[in-house]
Amino acid sequence: MYLELDRLSKQFDGKYAVHDLSLGLEEGGLLCILGSSGCGKTTTLNMIGGFLKPDGGRVLLDGQDITALPPERRPVSTVFQSYGLFPHMSVLQNVTYGLKFRGYSRAEAKEKGRRYLSLVGLAERENARIGELSGGQQQRVALARALIVEPKLCLLDEPLSNLDAALRVRMRGELKRLQRELGTTMVFVTHDQEEALILADSIAVMSEGELLQLGSAEEVFRHPANDYIASFLGLNDIVWKDDGSVLKVIRHGEKE
Amino acid sequence: MKSAGAIQKNTEKRASHDVLFSLCENAADKLILLVLLGSVLLFILWPIACIALRSLRGADGGVSFAMFGTVLRQCGESLRNSVFVGVFTAVLSTILSLSAALVCATARGWKKTLCMIIMLVAMVSPPFVSSLAYIQLYGRRGWITYRLLHLSLNPYNRWGVILMQSISFVPLNAMFLSGILEKLDEGSLRSARDLGASGGVILRDIVLPLIRPATLVCLLLSFVRSLADFGTPIIIGGRFSTLAADIYLQVVGYSDLEKSSAMNMFLLIPSIVFFFVYRALMRRSDRLTDASRTAQTELGLLLPHCGAMGWGMIALSTVFFVMIVLQYGCVFLSGFLKSTKGVYSFTLQYWDQLWRIGSSTMLRSVEYALIVSIAGTVFAMLFAYYMDRRRIIGRSLFDCLATLPYMLPGTCFGIGYILAFNHAPLKLTGTALIVLANMLFKQLPTSTKICTASLALLPEVQERSARDLGAGRLAVLRDVVFPALRPAFLSCFVYNFTSSMTTAGSIIFLIDAKRQLAVFKLFDAVYQGDYALASLIASVITVIVLLVEGLAFLITRKGENRRVSRT
Repeated sequence: MYLELDRLSKQFDGKYAVHDLSLGLEEGGLLCILGSSGCGKTTTLNMIGGFLKPDGGRVLLDGQDITALPPERRPVSTVFQSYGLFPHMSVLQNVTYGLKFRGYSRAEAKEKGRRYLSLVGLAERENARIGELSGGQQQRVALARALIVEPKLCLLDEPLSNLDAALRVRMRGELKRLQRELGTTMVFVTHDQEEALILADSIAVMSEGELLQLGSAEEVFRHPANDYIASFLGLNDIVWKDDGSVLKVIRHGEKE
Repeated sequence: MKSAGAIQKNTEKRASHDVLFSLCENAADKLILLVLLGSVLLFILWPIACIALRSLRGADGGVSFAMFGTVLRQCGESLRNSVFVGVFTAVLSTILSLSAALVCATARGWKKTLCMIIMLVAMVSPPFVSSLAYIQLYGRRGWITYRLLHLSLNPYNRWGVILMQSISFVPLNAMFLSGILEKLDEGSLRSARDLGASGGVILRDIVLPLIRPATLVCLLLSFVRSLADFGTPIIIGGRFSTLAADIYLQVVGYSDLEKSSAMNMFLLIPSIVFFFVYRALMRRSDRLTDASRTAQTELGLLLPHCGAMGWGMIALSTVFFVMIVLQYGCVFLSGFLKSTKGVYSFTLQYWDQLWRIGSSTMLRSVEYALIVSIAGTVFAMLFAYYMDRRRIIGRSLFDCLATLPYMLPGTCFGIGYILAFNHAPLKLTGTALIVLANMLFKQLPTSTKICTASLALLPEVQERSARDLGAGRLAVLRDVVFPALRPAFLSCFVYNFTSSMTTAGSIIFLIDAKRQLAVFKLFDAVYQGDYALASLIASVITVIVLLVEGLAFLITRKGENRRVSRT
């Protein structure tokens, strides 16, 4: 396995936020951690990113134990829910910030920054300030900034939750395209079943700090391991394509 | 793909430095933290501990409470006077401050601007100025009492002290209260009006209860400041003396450190007790107001529509503003007027005098203030950051220590420094360093508060992003934290500069006779009755501070304009 979480645990005030979590992900795959709020998914992400020290267990990436490394030395980058963009820097400065610590010359960094900006469709906005951008554009900057350092693993913490519904659907497609194009391994945290279903190669369903089920999108949705998962997922009717991917999701209550 | 190969190489080159670099950065990070915490222990806790230890030292070197008995016997009357003045000053000053703050918060247009300007000038002017003006205006030969009303009153008594202290504490108190008023939830005021409450009722039922903890804080602060103030009783107390004035005379006259330590304990203990009450009150005040809101330009309330209480407040603050304007007008004028047989004429002769004796002193004051402003601001920024964003063992203890000087009487803090740094290996007495350190740490509570407030606007996720992308702890400080604190830097700088130019109490015992500061030239001039020279020094200090504030304001506005024009 490329990414391996080995019996990760984390307690807050004597209560397990994450308990004995083990899972694995192949290189180039996109894993969704799915669960309602408070299920421990963000805690898990923070432990992979290095922002929280696990109480027990290990994080292995590409055969290396990274559990003890601080965030700045992990080959992992994150797209935060609120993006965490630097408002005092321009778009290009934001995107190329991580290259500063990777031995790039200014010219190289600029060139690569422009390439990634055009990859997310923001080539003309390189000199704009963060405050001038719309929510969707900020989202793209955050994505470009995380991907430009060519991380072995990219983490996304509910990155679409701050966008309005139509934009969310569009960004979903774009994210999938970028991931395929760059072949980046990604872990994506969400509470939105539809998002998980459409984006993920594999889905990990969590509840109360524990992993309930890990499998491909189709497995998890077609054969939920228990009643809780069934009721958590069972809000939608799904029209499957023959290859196991999703053709259409019909939300209950929508006229279709 | 060629460029990708080159970049790959670069990445590897950097990676080999990585471990070493990261170790160094971590070490530097720890070192900064150690210096910050160590300085707080050394320059705040240790001097205070020294006072307590010295006051308990008996004649034979053992522990003894004998000195307290002596102090109580000899200074009992001063102690009672201190409490008497403190209580009256606290109440009077709080009522005045509350009125002035409400007038400032509810006034509109030019009236608001005028109020703010008067407050600003009053706040940046050096101490002793109100006493100086008091003598000039209401003294035996006062412009108002003698020349205008043909009275010959003796102004040197306890009521003069109370009045002058009350007035000179108002600007600071009122600024503090307006800060709280700005944070009141507009929604509660609106809904009260919506439910049919009139202005007066809103004031009584909503506004005053919401700012009650802050009002109590005002009372406490005024009381402690009154206890600590030695200048006013010395200048206009006449035969009426307070404990702080006694301490001053004791140290300057007899250099009896045991006795003055014991005397200081009577100021120190109540201030520390009040300090904890203050913290509890501030926490309660924060719960009552909407701390997240930045500023609200005006309170949706008009004082004239607030019934008798509203008019009372307007009347009181009008009296206050008129007195302040008279005071500063008088101080400013007396620097340029010469009296020959009761007839005044314009003169510049005091300028020559000032130039002869005061120019180097004035320069030194500015120089010290600049050093403290820069060093203190950087220290406060780092301290606020490490306290706010890092999980440090004993954080609440350090936080508490760093806020303590806020309530500490200046003389206590000064004497603590003499006791703490009088012998090797920490022999600092007589140096400029001890004065600078004293100013810096006396001002640390407010500096830290300014920086913490600004830091609260910086989402932690920005720091995380930077680290996530490879920035070490110091790079995060440089690239994310310091840029975000830029507005705080300026206000912190201005605060430190103003305080350093006008502070007196805590450094009066630390100043070397060869390295005088302008404030003490001012004190000497007032004390010796050289009012014209004193007025001139006071005016020059005020003008310098106002210039620096104006400059800082312009820089801020320019920065904002640039940011706006880019967007």
